Amino acid sequence: MTGVMTSPQTIPALLEVRDLAVEFATYGGTVQAVRGVSFSVEKGKTLAIVGESGCGKSVTVQSLMGLIPMPPGRITAGSARLNGVEVLGCNVINGKDIRGSQIGMIFQDPMTSLNPTMRIGDQIAEPLQEHRGYSHKRAFSEAINLLSLSKIPEAAKRARQYPFEFSGGMLQRAMIAMAIACKPSILIADEPTTALDVTIQAQILDLLQDLQTETGMAIVLITHDLGVVARVADEVAVMYAGKIVEQGSVDDIFYRSAHPYTLGLKLAMPTNDPDKQHKLNPIDGSPPDLFAPPPGCGYCPRCPFSMKICDSRPPENFEVAVQHFSRCWLHHPQARISPAAPSIPRELYVGERA
Amino acid sequence: MTGIAAAEFARQASTEHAQTLSRPSLSYWQDARIRLQSNRRALVSLFIVISLLILTLLGPVLWSVNPAAQDLDQISVPPGRDRSALVVAEYTPWVIPAGTVAELQLADTATTQSVRLQWAGLPGAYGHRVYRNLYPVGPERAYGIPLGEFFDNSTLNFEDRLDLRPGTYYYSVVALAENGRPGTVAETLRVDVRRTTTVNEALAQGLVGSAADIALGDSLQVALHPLGTDYLGRDMLARLMEGARVSLFIGIIAPFIYVLMGVVYGAVSGFAGGKVDQVMMRFADFVVALPFLLFMILFKIAFGIGPGESGIFPMLIAMIVLLWPATARLVRGQILQIREQGYVEASKLLGAKSSYLIFRHMLPNTLGVVLVTLTFEIPRAIFTEAFLSFIGMGVAPPTPSWGSMSNEGIKTMLNTPHELIFPALLISITVLAFNLLGDGLRDALDARMRNTE
Amino acid sequence: MLWYIGKRLIQGLITVWFIATATFFAMHNVPGDPLLNERATTPTIRANLEAKYGLDQPVTTQYFIYLKNIVRGDFGISFAQENREVNDIIREHFPVSAILGVLAVIIAAVGGILWGSLTALYRNRLPDYLIMFLVILGISVPSFVIAAISQLGIVTLNNLAGTTVLPVAGWGTIYHMLVPALVLGLSTMAYLTRLMRSSMLEIVNSDFVRTAKSKGVPPARIFARHQLRNAVLPVITVLGPSIAAITTGGFVVEIVFAIPGLGRFFVEAVQQLDYTVIMGTTVFYGTFLVFMVILVDVIYGFIDPRVRMS
Repeated sequence: MTGVMTSPQTIPALLEVRDLAVEFATYGGTVQAVRGVSFSVEKGKTLAIVGESGCGKSVTVQSLMGLIPMPPGRITAGSARLNGVEVLGCNVINGKDIRGSQIGMIFQDPMTSLNPTMRIGDQIAEPLQEHRGYSHKRAFSEAINLLSLSKIPEAAKRARQYPFEFSGGMLQRAMIAMAIACKPSILIADEPTTALDVTIQAQILDLLQDLQTETGMAIVLITHDLGVVARVADEVAVMYAGKIVEQGSVDDIFYRSAHPYTLGLKLAMPTNDPDKQHKLNPIDGSPPDLFAPPPGCGYCPRCPFSMKICDSRPPENFEVAVQHFSRCWLHHPQARISPAAPSIPRELYVGERA
Repeated sequence: MTGIAAAEFARQASTEHAQTLSRPSLSYWQDARIRLQSNRRALVSLFIVISLLILTLLGPVLWSVNPAAQDLDQISVPPGRDRSALVVAEYTPWVIPAGTVAELQLADTATTQSVRLQWAGLPGAYGHRVYRNLYPVGPERAYGIPLGEFFDNSTLNFEDRLDLRPGTYYYSVVALAENGRPGTVAETLRVDVRRTTTVNEALAQGLVGSAADIALGDSLQVALHPLGTDYLGRDMLARLMEGARVSLFIGIIAPFIYVLMGVVYGAVSGFAGGKVDQVMMRFADFVVALPFLLFMILFKIAFGIGPGESGIFPMLIAMIVLLWPATARLVRGQILQIREQGYVEASKLLGAKSSYLIFRHMLPNTLGVVLVTLTFEIPRAIFTEAFLSFIGMGVAPPTPSWGSMSNEGIKTMLNTPHELIFPALLISITVLAFNLLGDGLRDALDARMRNTE
Repeated sequence: MLWYIGKRLIQGLITVWFIATATFFAMHNVPGDPLLNERATTPTIRANLEAKYGLDQPVTTQYFIYLKNIVRGDFGISFAQENREVNDIIREHFPVSAILGVLAVIIAAVGGILWGSLTALYRNRLPDYLIMFLVILGISVPSFVIAAISQLGIVTLNNLAGTTVLPVAGWGTIYHMLVPALVLGLSTMAYLTRLMRSSMLEIVNSDFVRTAKSKGVPPARIFARHQLRNAVLPVITVLGPSIAAITTGGFVVEIVFAIPGLGRFFVEAVQQLDYTVIMGTTVFYGTFLVFMVILVDVIYGFIDPRVRMS
């Protein structure tokens, strides 16, 4: 990879992912789902990975957890270091299991993500028995504590119930209780609120934030909902077609968006500001076929600011401001001075926070 | 970074905002056809099914041997046996030659007409017993079946005319002790028996045009049975084709009728809903609870088989009466599901009539499931027919079906396995073909079941 | 749960009534006088039967006499065998069929779950192809052919060994039961294997198994605790009908292996048109199967909490 490297580090971050690439062998050919993704997460911070369906955000975090079925999946390149130690392809580092113990994970659909024939308490107790060697009795009473920590009323009674007796929001709380059972340093939340209605969404996000304050864990939040991002994220990475196209603090992304795709996403958000009534502005077209990714920028065919070079060469990662990166040729010094090059109208990217 | 030409950064007209879809849009049935065509197992099965239908319909035209005709010269003959026969005169009684012989020997050419043996008296014998075996006599002295016993020392000859077939026999003469028990002294002779026929027989079988065409001592070929004959000398190929008609008739017609009944019943029940639906489904539940095969047997008895009836019709009725509820439940479930769909609601709001809703929306959308059910019901019906015929409750003799032929074949399984193997093989292949075809159809039609297998 | 069991039992009783009624009217429809079967009856039996079943009275009266007898558990006297009660026949022959059937159900269920899990774990690899090939064979070859072939196998085995390793036919010891039970369970086992495989494949890709992985549960424990229990559920639901299939499949196996079970007796009764035995056995089998299905459903309820609670 040529060009500017991602954030220069002085101390190792809690989680440091570099140049991760994942592909899937299917009957139709090989899908390059993730094509060189780098990001890092600091202790106690929340990183949101945003992008549309199929952009590779879930595959990225699932490959960290070793949840990609192999075959057909394959991690072709890259590294992921937890406190400086490689985790890809490992189950145990520093004498502790990674999954469930050092990294916890919750999923999109709580209704199907819990075993329907096992009591909630037993499912929460499972990682404790597995990683801490607790007896079933001790693990179960700890599970009850975790349930009340996740703000589930009558936790002792609830622990003895089965998933079908819980509502969706309650199940997601139980999932959270299960994921944080062993006090992991990172919680990966893969679209945790997508399947829930809006009021429950807010409660779950609040719960996550409360737990983060209490335990100091880092959260990697996968979502396609910019509203959720604005609410909880510290850092944001915008993914498109298997690559991170823009990365920066939440304010960078919302107030000083640099990449045309981020701009497109922001414009596509509905607003309820009566002064600013405008039509929804969807991004036309569809993402590129990852069976045969385009040689240049993946967003190029849909980009209103595309240039000749975008078709043929993948854009480099430009640091447009301190710790704010954008993978777009528009930031190339020559594009700035070239009279023929397009420029993004100022009023578009200095929008207000959605 | 500076090596990039400035022209590269020229603005480019946004060429394609709406990407063209590379795949043409396909209708449900087009999609299903393509999926089915790419499933090799299902295609082979389809080919087998079509071949079987051709065998049933065209076979008897091409191979016009009467399945009921008995060829008594060839009973339980496996396929591929030597068919040459020696033309001999009509049987005449044996005039026993005078004089003695030194050991057990043939007095005449061994033919399927008769085997004539002569022997010298065994040392110390008070009499002799003659045995015949299909296998060489081993150290355990298995002589085979006793044919005759002579408790005197003067009879030293024997004529065997018992059910002789072309092939090798082992004749033994065993000395009898004073108390009439067989002793240890014995003599064994290997005899190769030749197939024979007479002029009259050859004429009767239509093997030759006229008596002038053959003479005694000629060799000719007896009637061809490509798959051999059964225990009554009937041509297996002709019977298998006749049996295919029965088995496939029941196996295909019965499911067609009861699946159709189920579709109508289920559609009415599902569309009517409410009390009517509940009552109709409760009744279906009761019919399901009837132990199917027991009631098949019961109904077969109840409908009776009159003289000259083949028993196909009672079996058909019993299947139809007992087997419709499964389809009815399935179709009802589908109809209930489709009723809730948005497009049906929309159609209703546009003022569509019930009949339009049923025929335009509900039935076409259940057609795939019904087709899959039908394909899986066919092997089940074929099995049922075979099972009933096997326990003697199916089609009545002499009408052949694959099941009844297996039933007959199983009795002679050890000696002439071809009588069991052919019908059993046909049942298995047919059932296999329909099962694989059903799998293929289900994968092609039913999106929910895709990729699970 | 108790309420559920009670409800099912009442439903079962109604079903039994329906079976009995259907049997009665089906048999009543038989053309001619059932007692005219001269080889089956002697004047003594005839007189007894006419009095007992009210054969000179209208159908409805006969029907109620019949129902009353069934409620009392009295299936009547055999037409073909003098002074033999149907109850005695059932009592004598059913245990044989039951032992054979129970063995076959166990073989089928355990085998189906085991092979099905194996094929799913080794999906699209050699063990999967091999087992699925055998499964297709097991589904496509009629049971009487399998029975005949296995009997032939025993004969060959005994010939090779020079002694009787396994009895070719008959009943008595565990060795007599082994092969017949295996043959009887085979096609059901094939069917259950198929079902278990697709159910297991669905579970392997399910969200909750992914959750278990993310919790760091080792594969063996995921299989035991999360996959197996959920994948077995659909197999249990078809176990009721499977028992019915095995029961009737027993007819063939009992005939081929000369086992003195109720199935063989039933087939003989049918061939002799022994009406009381046919009716009695049908109602008995029907009742047995109805309650087996209920039993399976109740067991299912204990395994699946969703059914248990509702």
